[in-house]
Amino acid sequence: MRNLLELSWRLLRGGGRQSMLGTGLTAAAVAISSALLVFALAANVAFAARADREAWRNPVEAKGTPVAIEATAKDYVRDLSITVVDVAPLREVSGVRPPGMNRMPRPGEVWVSPGLAGLMRELPAEQLAARFPGKVAGTIGNDGLLYPDELVAVVGRTAADPAMAASRADHPLTSTPPTKISDFTGRAGDETVVYQIMALIASVLMVVPLLVFGGAAARLTVARRDQRLAALRLVGATPWQVVMMTVAEAVITAFGGAVLGLVLYGAAIPLLSRIEMAGGSWFAADLWPGVLPVLGVLLAVPLLVGLSAVVGLRRVVVSPLGVAKRETPPAMRFVRVVALFVILIAVPLSSRSTSTTVVVGVLGLAFLGVNLVGPWVVGVIGRITTRTARRPARLLAGRRLVDDPRSAWRTVSGVALTGFIAGFVGLLSPSSDLLGVPPSTAGLRLVVPDAQAAALAEQARERLSGAGIDAHVKTSDRSGSGRAKERTLTISLPSGDGYTVRIDTARTALAGLVPGRIAASPVDDQWQGIRLLDDVRTGTLVVLGVSFLVAIASAGITAASSVLDRRQAYALLRLAGTPLEVLDRARRTETLVPLAVMGGGSILIGMFCALPFVYAAMSVSGAVTLLTSVAVGFAGVLGAGALSRPLLRSVTANPAPRPD
Amino acid sequence: MGKSTLLHCLAGIMKPDSGEVRLLGERIDTMGERDRSTLRRTRFGFVFQFGQLLPELPADENVALPLMLGGMARGRSVQEARAWFGPLGLGGMEGRRPGELSGGQAQRVAIARALVTRPAVIFADEPTGALDQATGHEIMRILVEATKHHDASLVVVTHDPEVARWCDRVVEVRDGMILAPGQRQDRTQTLSGGNA
Repeated sequence: MRNLLELSWRLLRGGGRQSMLGTGLTAAAVAISSALLVFALAANVAFAARADREAWRNPVEAKGTPVAIEATAKDYVRDLSITVVDVAPLREVSGVRPPGMNRMPRPGEVWVSPGLAGLMRELPAEQLAARFPGKVAGTIGNDGLLYPDELVAVVGRTAADPAMAASRADHPLTSTPPTKISDFTGRAGDETVVYQIMALIASVLMVVPLLVFGGAAARLTVARRDQRLAALRLVGATPWQVVMMTVAEAVITAFGGAVLGLVLYGAAIPLLSRIEMAGGSWFAADLWPGVLPVLGVLLAVPLLVGLSAVVGLRRVVVSPLGVAKRETPPAMRFVRVVALFVILIAVPLSSRSTSTTVVVGVLGLAFLGVNLVGPWVVGVIGRITTRTARRPARLLAGRRLVDDPRSAWRTVSGVALTGFIAGFVGLLSPSSDLLGVPPSTAGLRLVVPDAQAAALAEQARERLSGAGIDAHVKTSDRSGSGRAKERTLTISLPSGDGYTVRIDTARTALAGLVPGRIAASPVDDQWQGIRLLDDVRTGTLVVLGVSFLVAIASAGITAASSVLDRRQAYALLRLAGTPLEVLDRARRTETLVPLAVMGGGSILIGMFCALPFVYAAMSVSGAVTLLTSVAVGFAGVLGAGALSRPLLRSVTANPAPRPD
Repeated sequence: MGKSTLLHCLAGIMKPDSGEVRLLGERIDTMGERDRSTLRRTRFGFVFQFGQLLPELPADENVALPLMLGGMARGRSVQEARAWFGPLGLGGMEGRRPGELSGGQAQRVAIARALVTRPAVIFADEPTGALDQATGHEIMRILVEATKHHDASLVVVTHDPEVARWCDRVVEVRDGMILAPGQRQDRTQTLSGGNA
């Protein structure tokens, strides 16, 4: 065993420059996949961590003796939202306190997050600070915040405070009514659950191409080792020894790549933490997936690469002459197509299921199905290209596609799978129209009890004119019934210059007018929906960005490696007078033709898979995303292929090609 | 040592550090890469020890490739290529792929490919190196006869005196130097030329 490892290591090191280049390409491929794999994992961990930290703001009714009353609401300043948590302590219990605070807030105290504290210093008091009654007693630590710049205020009140009795039904989506609690554990908010599900779907969309890419990287090493390993078989190495050596070599390379990938990911954290999601950027610590997942990646990636290497080796092991002789390869089996169709039939059926696992599973399967059918289609394309070829470049390309459809598929698989994603999210991208026409009336609304409506309207006018705001306050018709009868005060402000200052001053002036109620603009009421749409768009771009990175890296690496693998043929062709351009055109054709067909095909399949989830026509932004993806995909693959042109020139410049 | 380098210089693959290479009185060592490529494709043919056929193309398309590269339509190229199969004893092998041919058969396909453009000179670098003696003998016979038949010259690099015996003129190279005829002792480094 030790001898084998030593021999593998020596072969790995002593392979010469071009073999080292091949190993380097594999390691680079594994590094990129590992880094992105960690990212896909970390995204889920990060959303889970946020959900945990957000839980205390979703109070759960106490089962035993309550220690406090908690209620929440959303307030707004500029175009930002402030989470206001009202807490009325009922009795002292050691250890029970809101996360991020070292004690329970006392009535008359305000605790603010660093972001809010900064904003309160920055803006005049009558625009923000004056909204919070009492003195600022402390700063809320990171444990109580979702993201670094989050605006949170914890307001301490007495249990008798009218704010602790108001139902807060005026904004049911963004506020919670006063609830007696026994601790600050809370529960995951509905919104965070939505985000976690979306993160999971995004991860599946990212992980599958990563696995395909990683597997392709492993086959790269094997393809180049084929001949040498066949030679080893010829001198009498047992199949087991050959397998062990290959696996050892692949695993060593993959481990190096995985470590490199982790370092890469670590270096990218500061950049990634700036991606704004669900309201803000990230704590760097949230993006660190933790020791166990990292160890898992370090262990699983080399293992998977080793496994993939074994699969790629089967041929060599079966026959020592397996690679020495090249024969017409058997055509891909049609079974692959049948498999894809079976999966596609399952897609609409699965959408009836409410289980996320089923939906995510079917999505992953459809994705793998595209990967399965890819080589088959490439083979068919190759036969058509060969039959219709009139110029040598196309003939070479077509024959090459027929000869090794799997390898050609590896070059384009990344982009084709990205096409699947682009088709999927392109159709799912929500349009802003979903929210309806944005209201044109500028101003605020405040829901008031019917009985006090006139008095409150008068007070509002006084407060506003006291703050120097020229506003018109109108009382709407009654709504609701019985004691819950309510009216809405509509406060119109002149739009134009200085509107944001005026509206923030008005909000501040009206704060506390009706206990537990906040004056909000119609746009504020849509704020959550707007943010969700923004986040879906950001998430889409991140997933597309990741898959393009994978796709283009994979295209570049496979193109370079295919030049290395075929250096002898290329060198001899060039020597016999074939212009470099013809070789290059052949290479381009053998990438572009399958790319066009498979890219288009996967976009359609992706859209098909998204159909069950979509209830509206494709949005403009979705179409733009899709078209941009197509353009970036083609340009990226062509660019990545062009990068290996110098390599082609250098390997074909060797005037005396010798087998190695 | 040096015989392959000399062949590469003669064939316009490499540029010599000093000296001149002329084809029918025209200097080729001063030509640009593009012109030399065209020259190699149109005026020269190459036969190597092994590995010269593209594994993914069937035999007839391998032979037709230089014609297609020269701009001939595919159908006609393949048709012309196939005409070489019978005379070279390759009848019925047109659709086979290099992996399905024996060493001698593959070498005959390579000869057909070298000759299909009707070049002025055929360069052969150890053309029998990978073959057994009987097959090697057979390949040399075909190579020389076909070259003569098509009025081309043949330049062979070999270390095998048996192969050199086929040639009209033998130049011995030893440690990078051309030996005078009287100095011939070691026949292992030979550049042989035959002008048919």
